[in-house]
Amino acid sequence: MKEEDLIQLRNIFMDEASELFVKIEKNLLAAEQSPDDPTLIAALFRSIHTLKGSSGMIGSKKVTDFIHNLESIFDKIRSGMAPLTPEIIDCTLQCMDHVKVLIVDPELKKDKDQTNDQALTDRINQILSGSAKWATAQPAQTQSAVGRHTYYVYFKPHAHFLKDGSNPLLLIEELTEIGDTLVYAHIDMGQMSDYDPTLCYTSWQVVLSTDEPMSNVQEVFIFTQDEDIKEVKLLSNEDLLANPRFVQRMPKPELGADLTQEKIHDIIKGLEQEVEPVETDSATKVDAISNIRVASTKLDELMNQVSELITSQAALSLYAKNHFDPNLEVIADNMEKIARQLRDTAFDMTLLEIDHLFTRFHRSVRDIATQLDKSVHFVTEGGDTELDKTIIDNLADPLMHLIRNSLDHGIETKSIRAQRGKPEKGTILLKAYYSGAKVYVQIKDDGKGIDVEKIKQKALKNEIIKESDQLTDKELLNLIFVPGFSMAKDVTDLSGRGVGMDVVKKNVLDLRGDISVESVLGEGTTITIGLPLTLSVIDGLQVKVHDTDYIIPLGSVEKCFELKRSSFVNDFNQVVSLDEQQYPYIDLRGEFQISEDNAPVTNSIILVKDHEREVGFCVDEIVGEYQAVLKPVGKYYRDQEFVSGATILGDGKIALVLDTNNLISKKHNNLKLAAS
Amino acid sequence: MSSLLDSEVKEILDLRSFLTFDLNEQTFAVPVESVVEIQDMTAITKIPNAATHMAGVQNLRGKILPVIDTRVKFGLPPVVDTVDTCIVVIDMEVEEEKVLVGALVDAVEEVISIPATEIQSSKSIEAKFDLEFVSGMFKQDEKFILMLDLNKVFALDDDNKVSVDNIKQA
Repeated sequence: MKEEDLIQLRNIFMDEASELFVKIEKNLLAAEQSPDDPTLIAALFRSIHTLKGSSGMIGSKKVTDFIHNLESIFDKIRSGMAPLTPEIIDCTLQCMDHVKVLIVDPELKKDKDQTNDQALTDRINQILSGSAKWATAQPAQTQSAVGRHTYYVYFKPHAHFLKDGSNPLLLIEELTEIGDTLVYAHIDMGQMSDYDPTLCYTSWQVVLSTDEPMSNVQEVFIFTQDEDIKEVKLLSNEDLLANPRFVQRMPKPELGADLTQEKIHDIIKGLEQEVEPVETDSATKVDAISNIRVASTKLDELMNQVSELITSQAALSLYAKNHFDPNLEVIADNMEKIARQLRDTAFDMTLLEIDHLFTRFHRSVRDIATQLDKSVHFVTEGGDTELDKTIIDNLADPLMHLIRNSLDHGIETKSIRAQRGKPEKGTILLKAYYSGAKVYVQIKDDGKGIDVEKIKQKALKNEIIKESDQLTDKELLNLIFVPGFSMAKDVTDLSGRGVGMDVVKKNVLDLRGDISVESVLGEGTTITIGLPLTLSVIDGLQVKVHDTDYIIPLGSVEKCFELKRSSFVNDFNQVVSLDEQQYPYIDLRGEFQISEDNAPVTNSIILVKDHEREVGFCVDEIVGEYQAVLKPVGKYYRDQEFVSGATILGDGKIALVLDTNNLISKKHNNLKLAAS
Repeated sequence: MSSLLDSEVKEILDLRSFLTFDLNEQTFAVPVESVVEIQDMTAITKIPNAATHMAGVQNLRGKILPVIDTRVKFGLPPVVDTVDTCIVVIDMEVEEEKVLVGALVDAVEEVISIPATEIQSSKSIEAKFDLEFVSGMFKQDEKFILMLDLNKVFALDDDNKVSVDNIKQA
């Protein structure tokens, strides 16, 4: 095989394998918490098995052998012949790392890897030989396919099956994974008035065609209780499901028919009496492809083209509007609708669940905590929150840094925690959630917090602040983000690992995000990062202030009002009454230092919600909704942080996209300063 | 062959090409290699609360082009929009990143080539302008033309210095 072919194959394999690695790690860590969960073990076995299969592709015997040994271990665990011990979990994690090395460097050129290889092989052998006292395991994957059989599986969980959190669907799903199935769910409930939602009324009848022996089918139910009724019967020595006439005669699954074994036998008999039609339908067995892999560069290209399309479409809409051609307007409206849908679909493709990131941290936290001899409970919430993949990619480093800080300098050692009356196990919570047009990622620890006084002393020493400066605690805390504020260990509780908090802040700002810190001495630190949902296209409200157009992200807009300008603009309290409630407001004319000369009599006030704060934005007029393709305004305007980008309007003019959160925070600080 | 000859001749003479433009009745020159194109002054969107020499942003075929009012940068009153006013689009490298920036000027003159030997240092010029931005000068038709130091004229304003005000805004 040619060298480049091999490299290409390896790349394909790495692509697939990295997904499997993530899955395996995630399941291993979950299994650490609940080592008896059969679904986890089954999932682990499957992943490892798949990994073994695809590792054959790169033709490295070493890799395949290595994984094969792991597979044998998990096969034993799966068949209940060995427990999943922490030692196995730990060993498997390290093996995964080693396999990654093996793939890149099968000859193990580094001595370190060589010794590691030997050590791990020994460990595996030990585990395997330790299992000698376990009942002799069935040799894995030796049941050769003796052709497909069709089974009838009846499963009726006892009424209290759901009480201990068991999910019968997982078992059924497992059945569907070992072969082709027809699944019938039958609900036997009796009187509606006696319905108790905690009970299980459903039973399942499954026609399963598989090449696995009956014992393997029975194994699916190995973890169910004795009270659960399960039957596995052989229907036929052929693959009945591959017979379209059989399938045709079966009742439709969604009808909820009670399909007893007798009924099926009747159907089979009926089939045998019929003359077999000559033609064989070869098209019946086509696996539908539900997922495809796309290179991310192609997605980027798609997003760029969609952006261009939206800009052109805006020009078309404007042209149609200005030329009073009803036909053209209809076409333009249609175009706009399609462009919007296309944008959403394309955009959706570039979104990833933040869980991809969180999973990585589970592993790191575990390793670092062991290293530091600290006991940490690492909790993640909101892993299903979706973010642009570019943002997720660029978020990994700053988040890792923050988590390390929490582990290293936030969470105290076990003995100190005990002295302070805290639970021995520290907690780090990593949480993601939506609010308005933003996603927030929060890292919260219950460690010792940051000593504001120490920060002040250090800042004075470094001449970042002067003795005469009056800074609130929050402002002092924010000093940790200032470049040049040394993070030396003796001074603050934050890391001294070369990359400072200023880099973290810069990374976040580069993503058009913001970062804030809260800390209570002795109780813990919370760092919150706010991020835009996307870097490319947003739905916005187009407004006018003086002669300039602005876009306010629609996601954060709550309501719009109209008010006479004279009624509020000189109000001393800086609040407006809207819907009988008082809200602080930001007058954009005042904010942007535009003269009052040509201010309109009636103003629009847009109520914007950001992170639990509601603030009115006062603009000259509202133009309408606009899909804004965000473009950076560039470094020359980086001090104008309230402008998060610019967009090109239908007529070629530029509108500025406002970062309302930034304006609100600034306003908030100013008010606070004025009050103090 | 001819092109080879040209470059040989050029090498001997070491000719430099410049684009010249006017600002407040003084002619300035920038190396043609840095000039991307010349644009009419159309709809410029001003960004509020920015430095006064930052004239705003312009739509350059779908890209956002920051525009600098060169007159204000030199301590002169702002550019008045006339038929001659234009934007010289300049290719810059700022903080290791290539960026385009537009320079508002009163009028664009021509492209000229002069031998490197005729360029003098700027030390001896009488200071009608802030000479901080001038890297040299040469004489053409009895007129002095000032060469601009682009890296200085279009440098990012250095307000990365940490001050308490900055922190309070954070």
